[in-house]
Amino acid sequence: MLKSKVLALSLMATFLVSGPVFAEETLKVGVQAPITGKYANEGQGIDQSVRLLAEQINEKGGVMGRKIEVISCDDEGTAMKAAICAKDLVNKGVSMVIGSYTSTCAEAAQATYFRAGVLQTSDGTSDTLTQHGYWTFFRNSFPNSAEATFAADYMVKVKNYKRIAILSDFSSYADGLATAVQDSIKKLGGNIVAREKVKSGSQNFTPVLTQLKGKKPDVIFFSGYYSDGGLIRSQQVALGIKADFIGGDANDNVDFVKLAGNAAQGAYIINVPTPELLPYDLAKDFLKAYKAKYNMMPPSIWTILNVDGMRAFIHAMETVKSFDTKKAADYLHTLKDYPGITGPISFAADGNRVGSGYMTYEIQKDGSYKIVHK
Amino acid sequence: MDIFLQQLVNGLTIGSMFALIALGYTMVYGVMKLINFAHGDLVAGSAFVALFIFSKLLGGQVSVLSVTGVFVLTIVCISILGFTLERFAYRPLRSAPRLSAVVSALGASMVIQNGIMLLWGPQMHIFPELIPQIIWEVGGVVVSLMQIIIMVLSMILMIALYFFVEKTKIGTAIRASAIDQDAARLMGINVNNIIVTIFIIGSSLGAVGGIFIGLYYRGITFNMGWQYGLYAFVAAIMGGIGNIPGAMLGGMLLGLFNAFIAGYISSTWADAFTFILLIVILIVRPTGILGERVAEKV
Repeated sequence: MLKSKVLALSLMATFLVSGPVFAEETLKVGVQAPITGKYANEGQGIDQSVRLLAEQINEKGGVMGRKIEVISCDDEGTAMKAAICAKDLVNKGVSMVIGSYTSTCAEAAQATYFRAGVLQTSDGTSDTLTQHGYWTFFRNSFPNSAEATFAADYMVKVKNYKRIAILSDFSSYADGLATAVQDSIKKLGGNIVAREKVKSGSQNFTPVLTQLKGKKPDVIFFSGYYSDGGLIRSQQVALGIKADFIGGDANDNVDFVKLAGNAAQGAYIINVPTPELLPYDLAKDFLKAYKAKYNMMPPSIWTILNVDGMRAFIHAMETVKSFDTKKAADYLHTLKDYPGITGPISFAADGNRVGSGYMTYEIQKDGSYKIVHK
Repeated sequence: MDIFLQQLVNGLTIGSMFALIALGYTMVYGVMKLINFAHGDLVAGSAFVALFIFSKLLGGQVSVLSVTGVFVLTIVCISILGFTLERFAYRPLRSAPRLSAVVSALGASMVIQNGIMLLWGPQMHIFPELIPQIIWEVGGVVVSLMQIIIMVLSMILMIALYFFVEKTKIGTAIRASAIDQDAARLMGINVNNIIVTIFIIGSSLGAVGGIFIGLYYRGITFNMGWQYGLYAFVAAIMGGIGNIPGAMLGGMLLGLFNAFIAGYISSTWADAFTFILLIVILIVRPTGILGERVAEKV
């Protein structure tokens, strides 16, 4: 007993002595996001929101006396740049990384962070992200499989579509989601008439859509990103294909409506709630602060989900009273109902966020969303 | 069958755009023996300038007057840009080895591309719906007003260009300069003026192509010029580089080829097949479809 007290005292003494030496030390937080390129809009949202949260925490004295220092790396939404960013951020001594926006980039960087013991949180929804057994990785969104179950149920049971066409691009996220939706539809006994892939960013989707037209689908489910989804919807209507359009979560972006133009009206999007629809006080405060600082709203829910990932990391470090990432991760793997901006946060043992918050929105004439199913 | 016809219509639409852009490559190559790699970026620049002119200068209201205004003002701006490009990037290197001019062209391409990024930012911009989405369905084939405008306007511009080059005095001077610049100069042709003229014509056609890309595809990005430049370049080579009807034919064929490969095989493979086609043409008929076999000067 006495021994341990002495030990504790001596440890404290060491801490006090060494304290001033480390006083200047900061908690380095990395942001790996597509700040330029196709997903620049989302990437900038993530970067801005992490900086805002860091500022808020620093104003309150930082994390256990350490100020947060944000280091950003632009992965441009490409796997190659993501791998470079991971090495760069690790070399700069970050202890946690927020990002990236796409599953492909998150996956390309995962191993590097795992080897360096750096915590990583991403909104990537590809199921494979949490299947590598990396203790460093935490998903702040809900995986494709949760969305797939919801989407399949909506198409087969709620809307009773008899002929379903599924489109994706080649990214691990979109392809994974499309395959998961396909499997769930088959389980429910639904009828898939086409499963096609398009090249992201190719702008001209009329050849594939023309091919689909011949199969007379009731609905086209597109699992890729808004930058393609908006154009696909617009070209679908221009080609006179009278099928409904359902976009996966990555179509949830204000630019979807702008790209699709008049054709946006009546399109469905499946996603967790948009930032404005979040009922929590934390969300309202954060959105207000974001609006005040950047004079715009966050581009999408993904921005906010990433903020929640970061908040969970900081909460874990403060709870275990240590900057040791292993200890924080051990705590996070058992985290239950920590109040988040996007709802309560719980992590499963594999790093997945527990639960599902999916809803179906219908795009209205003025471009706003109306919840039609949840 | 109606699917085949639909792909045909789609292919001709994008083919018209490729052809318009390819003309810029082909004319510059014809006279200067230079592949103007910056041409694709002029096209991208045109889409952004048109967006700026419409939303900032003309107040963003769609009317016949404002749409015409967008076309005219954008063509003027891009022609000036094309003229500047020639004056500062190519003219100083006219007597230098050909490789220097190509390097300069690549440099100019990067300058324009990054210039667009600096001015408008790296994110995707959305082109306004200048032409109402009206569609007609004829026997299962859908044709939109936009597609008709693109095809008809391209056709008119191309026919006008053909007659300009074949029937006018300046056109004759352009053809003479393409055959032999020194001899043309001896015959009293001001080759400098001819080069400026083809740059202005090429940029103007590229500007129209850029507006069409914005209108048809809606989403425009600062780096899209490279992709369309490459397609147009392939189209120009397919038709026989330096040959004006060749560029038109090459563009149309490339558009159709793209649509059919993407429609019947796979959209992922469309690009790969395009380049396989290019290689085949270069092997079988290196001068292109309409290019003439010219004896190499030794």
